[in-house]
Amino acid sequence: MNTSETSQNIHEQIVALLPRLRRFARNLTRNPHDADDVVQIAVERALVRVDQWRRDARLDSWMFKIVRNAWIDELRSRGRRDKIFLAEEAGDHVGIEPIESETARMSVQAAMARLPEDQRVAVGLVLVEGLPYKEAAEVLDIPIGTLTSRLARGREALQALLGGEE
Amino acid sequence: MTISDDTLMAFADGELDGPARAAVELALRADPQLEKRVAEHRALRQRLQAAYSAELFEPMPERLLSAARRTPDMPRTNVVNLQDARDAMARDAARARPSQMWWRPVGSIAASLIIGFGLGYASWHQSSPLTRNGGGAMVASGQLAEALSHQLAADQSPASTVQIGISFLAKSGDYCRTFSLSGAVSPAGVACHHGQEWQIQMLTQSVGSGDAPGGYRTAASGMSPAILKAVDEQIAGEPLDQSAESAARSKDWNSTQASP
Repeated sequence: MNTSETSQNIHEQIVALLPRLRRFARNLTRNPHDADDVVQIAVERALVRVDQWRRDARLDSWMFKIVRNAWIDELRSRGRRDKIFLAEEAGDHVGIEPIESETARMSVQAAMARLPEDQRVAVGLVLVEGLPYKEAAEVLDIPIGTLTSRLARGREALQALLGGEE
Repeated sequence: MTISDDTLMAFADGELDGPARAAVELALRADPQLEKRVAEHRALRQRLQAAYSAELFEPMPERLLSAARRTPDMPRTNVVNLQDARDAMARDAARARPSQMWWRPVGSIAASLIIGFGLGYASWHQSSPLTRNGGGAMVASGQLAEALSHQLAADQSPASTVQIGISFLAKSGDYCRTFSLSGAVSPAGVACHHGQEWQIQMLTQSVGSGDAPGGYRTAASGMSPAILKAVDEQIAGEPLDQSAESAARSKDWNSTQASP
């Protein structure tokens, strides 16, 4: 495969990934505008560093990791952590409420928003984005054991918030 | 045997295989409670996927699509399409960016200041300046001259200090090439090959907003409006494609040999 062919492919592959990158970024940032900014930064970074992508590695995992790092950089450069404010906001109405089935979609997202970031991101990568544990652990730079424990705690919290049935 | 919660979860997520998987399957048959737990794990996954699937079908903002389709720094595709560059420029101008970037064309006096200071910022080796004064004209030297003479747009490393954009035959009969330079000030310009030298026809300087010191610089800025305009004014026909670029290089950018 020649260079130009490969680079053509990478652009279209990234375009195809955009909806998932955006969804993951929203889960990560909990703010749609931040999510789009972070995805844009990540895409631009990925294209500059595409030589660093191991072709035997999954492109989605590699991109998720760049999205996450872009968000960490963004938070650092802002010098504040949005999650602190959001966590307080969410804390106003903590408590298990009965879930109406027609609002199930919103409730799932509302329940997700109440999880601590570590658990929310682990759940997002594995259960929403469908990454294997190993890939998700690599995205987050954590051992698999840490990933599974965050995932288990996140699941438990979601089960408690959502109830067993819709 | 006992099956831990984590193992049960991994089983439900399809993470187990071989003997580990077989052991859980065996345990499930013996214990309906375990089976129920597995079903709960799977139901939760399905519920999450259902709740989040709609997001995949939302319209994608143009700025994300164009970011994904854009080639960093300068176009590196085989055939550079000026119209694409114009379109990308219009999109860049239209969208709000987290970090803004402005370009301004500079006159010849300012240009020498950029050469003096800007290129200094851009981590140039003092021992090999990138330009020199050639009989009143600013001509490329050192690394810049080297890149203009030898680097092909289609196979340059994004890490190179000098990035070549498009190459074209100008109405003057000279071959010209656009270039950009990495570094804090990111000068870019047009150079034309004349009398065995690369004369710098114009130079622009990009100025970051300063809100992200040392931060990430957008890769979208390959061709500024000023450079695009200069190319439009000077170009005779279309930009050189990859083979024409390569052919021009092999003739040392001497256009008179092409049409004796």
